[in-house]
Amino acid sequence: MNKKALEFIPIPVLLIALVQLFSCTPQACQEETRSLVKATFYINGTDTIKAPDSLTVYGLGMDTSKIYDKSPGVTIANLPLNASADSCSYVIKINGITDTLTFNYTTYPHLISKECGFTFYHILESYTVTGRAVDAILIRNKNITTVNEENIRIFY
Amino acid sequence: MRRISAYFISLLIFPFAFSANAQDSLPVPLKIRIGADVYGPVSYYTNLNNVNKKTLSIEGYLSLDIDTQKAAVIEGGYLNFRYSQYNYTYQSKGAFIRLGVDFNLIRPEAAPGKYYAGIGLRYGLSLFSSEVPFLKQDNYWGGVTGTIPRSTHIAHFIEASPGIRTEIFRNLSMGWVIRLRILLFSNTGKDLKAIYIPGYGNGVKSFSPGLNYYFIWSIPYKSHKNP
Repeated sequence: MNKKALEFIPIPVLLIALVQLFSCTPQACQEETRSLVKATFYINGTDTIKAPDSLTVYGLGMDTSKIYDKSPGVTIANLPLNASADSCSYVIKINGITDTLTFNYTTYPHLISKECGFTFYHILESYTVTGRAVDAILIRNKNITTVNEENIRIFY
Repeated sequence: MRRISAYFISLLIFPFAFSANAQDSLPVPLKIRIGADVYGPVSYYTNLNNVNKKTLSIEGYLSLDIDTQKAAVIEGGYLNFRYSQYNYTYQSKGAFIRLGVDFNLIRPEAAPGKYYAGIGLRYGLSLFSSEVPFLKQDNYWGGVTGTIPRSTHIAHFIEASPGIRTEIFRNLSMGWVIRLRILLFSNTGKDLKAIYIPGYGNGVKSFSPGLNYYFIWSIPYKSHKNP
């Protein structure tokens, strides 16, 4: 029985079956691909997290595409950076008072996985803020990645 | 399908079935073996029309029986990997070498140089280049495209490779090997890990399985008389 089987090995069929068995079926991308500045809102001078009663955020010159639009209850704002520039500015309106917040950063590519491909990570170098809504900003973690951890604190 | 099943079953059972007919007095030939992998080329041709996935893998090995149950093995190959999906294209190519030992778990008198069911242990070294000719990401600020230029890397890995081999004609064998690899080191950095390392596999992960299917030509060079 054994010799018979070996004499009639259907090699092409067997090889194709093996290829199919071991070929990598494309998987869906399950991981987080957006690297965002995670900004937490604090009451000025305290360690108390408090969401503004109303929060509006949009990129400077992009007022038709708001990230937050008079949104209540936002304790952590997620702000994407422009990977094709070294800085980008946000208009940030806290309880009706408007500021402009500018981030300066460097950008580098990062491979997430074969399924998801690449994203851009950033290193936050500095910031400027103009206006009266924000009292202070503290950089807690300058590495802007897909990891869900606080990057800056906004005191208002 | 019955033939495939029969073949697999025969590969599993054939060597052991002979143990019942073993003749202890027969000398066991020690052999030099030269093998060529057919899985890589077949995989390449079955994906020839798939523009998003083209991997050409050429691989072979040379082994020398140290005694009736151990063989020193050197394996080498070349791989040209190309993968593309909606947001990036990736290419890597390079050569690799693996060195190690095969341990035949079948008793010598039952496998007189013809049958092998055992496990190999390998150390692997891969020298390769990789590049990303296109990548794209969209976010709030719009789409960003870029490239990552070609760079050269090295990777070290170890491997356990259980497999089966049987002689189908005089001095001509065939068999398959499952590769279970662990990546020890790669100098690609943590941000731009290699999607495919020649000889290893998925460089994003520290464990990478694989499969080879070999045709092997054996050259007896010495007879070993069992005590």
